[in-house]
Amino acid sequence: MTNEPQNVRIVITDGAIIPDPKERRIITAWSISFVGALGALVYLCASRPEPYWRLLQFLPDGIAVTFKVTVLSILCSIPIGLITGLGRLSRNRLINLVASTYVEVVRGIPLLVQLFYIYYALGRFLKVPDLLAAIIALSVCYGAYMGEVFRAGIDSISKGQTEAARSLGFNRAETMFMVILPQAWRTILPPVGNEFIAMLKDTSLVSIIAVADILRRGREFASESFLYFETYTMVALIYLLITLFLSKGVSIMESRLNYYDRR
Amino acid sequence: MTADSVEPIIRISHAWKFFGELTALNDVSLDVMPGEKVVICGPSGSGKSTLLRSINRLETVDKGTIIVDGQDVNSPDNDINKIRQELGMVFQSFNLFPHKTVLQNLTMAPMRLRKIPRPEAESRALELLKKVGISDKANVFPAMLSGGQQQRVAIARALAMNPKIMLFDEPTSALDPEMIGEVLDVMVTLAREGMTMVCVTHEMGFAREVADRIIFMDHGQVLEENAPQDFFGAPKHPRLQKFLNQIL
Ligand SMILES: Nc1ncnc2c1ncn2[C@@H]1O[C@H](COP(=O)(O)OP(=O)(O)O)[C@@H](O)[C@H]1O
Ligand SMILES: [Mg+2]
Repeated sequence: MTNEPQNVRIVITDGAIIPDPKERRIITAWSISFVGALGALVYLCASRPEPYWRLLQFLPDGIAVTFKVTVLSILCSIPIGLITGLGRLSRNRLINLVASTYVEVVRGIPLLVQLFYIYYALGRFLKVPDLLAAIIALSVCYGAYMGEVFRAGIDSISKGQTEAARSLGFNRAETMFMVILPQAWRTILPPVGNEFIAMLKDTSLVSIIAVADILRRGREFASESFLYFETYTMVALIYLLITLFLSKGVSIMESRLNYYDRR
Repeated sequence: MTADSVEPIIRISHAWKFFGELTALNDVSLDVMPGEKVVICGPSGSGKSTLLRSINRLETVDKGTIIVDGQDVNSPDNDINKIRQELGMVFQSFNLFPHKTVLQNLTMAPMRLRKIPRPEAESRALELLKKVGISDKANVFPAMLSGGQQQRVAIARALAMNPKIMLFDEPTSALDPEMIGEVLDVMVTLAREGMTMVCVTHEMGFAREVADRIIFMDHGQVLEENAPQDFFGAPKHPRLQKFLNQIL
């Protein structure tokens, strides 16, 4: 075990506010934002089809790319995070040090710089395709954050659970995968969802290295039409709606995972 | 084999355990014979849990040897996971797996570790649940059960592995008083069936009823060791006399 205090603290980055699944009121920050954003979108498209309706047809290609980059990067960052989290909890000093150093280094470098670094610096030795560079950079960066999430999640399960499993004869791996992680998952899921949302927004950075995501599509549209205000209004609304959808999804998933509690 | 040539099933020889400056076990030796019921008592912090937990190597002793069923638990040649399968353990805080149903709590280890097919593991689990008196709760999650019920499930879970020895670490200390009896009843039944048991407990009624031997520990040392009658009737060590005055 680490020498740090035992109280659980999950690192929250700038994802989104996950709505409380038990919230029963109709007027919440979530519903106001959602109705407002959707209303604004519909109103703009209806009242001024040119350029808004045209924008709405132009941007979805970028939405697909944004999702593709986000989903692939999250999928890669989860195993990286699990390994990092286990490494950070390892009693083996070397493994622990390697994992901690990785987290330290990655968290100390802005994502945009990492992105440039992987794209341009590595590009001197081998040609990395744009999309792959984006996914590698996002996975490496978010793997470190995920590592902290996994570490905190695993740490939040009482030592008694490990002892009960070990006393029955389960080995370390069986204990981790059959007893600890299935429970830790509930603590891990909300922040992972949060990381997913944060990453979805961070993928806007990849537009800089020629990946045709939402923002890049917007920039293309704006540079041809010079309608900067209209374009970025639409881009912002689309990001907001996606983020709101996802935070609701995370909230629903979270409540489903509480099935074995009495309350 | 004649009766006197039977080997102890647990043999603790000169065990020492240090936590930094603190000596949690101070040259403790203890033999437990097959079928024997040993109760360990003593003030809080006297090293009872440490001693019990070193038997299945949840704690590793710093000096001395611990042999369980002929195998040195601290030897790298022996597979501790195999040894632990023969040592059921019941904790003060139950430690049931909350994400598994009661039935799954009981079948998980036998299916995975003893390779018992599901139908067989389940029928055996149901039998055990019947034995501890909660067969109607097989498919609920542990959070739905009272403390006494959870502890009885925990005992059944340990028994599901068919262990040779059962270790109990203050199994009733976390329970509301009205639930202590139901757990002790299960333990008494188990004792009657001939299970080898090492119990850390302050339930002196239970000790008197089932123990073959009672051990008194203080400051990491075994200060007195006797059959119940003499243990309660003629305690020799002043600290045991004081302890008994406090709890009886
Ligand atoms: N993991 C540990 N780290 C440091 N000290 C410990 C640890 N476990 C137990 N101790 C100390 O060792 C002594 C014996 O503990 P324990 O065996 O739990 O006593 P008991 O079960 O008799 O109350 C206590 O003083 C306790 O504080
Ligand atoms: Mg104790």
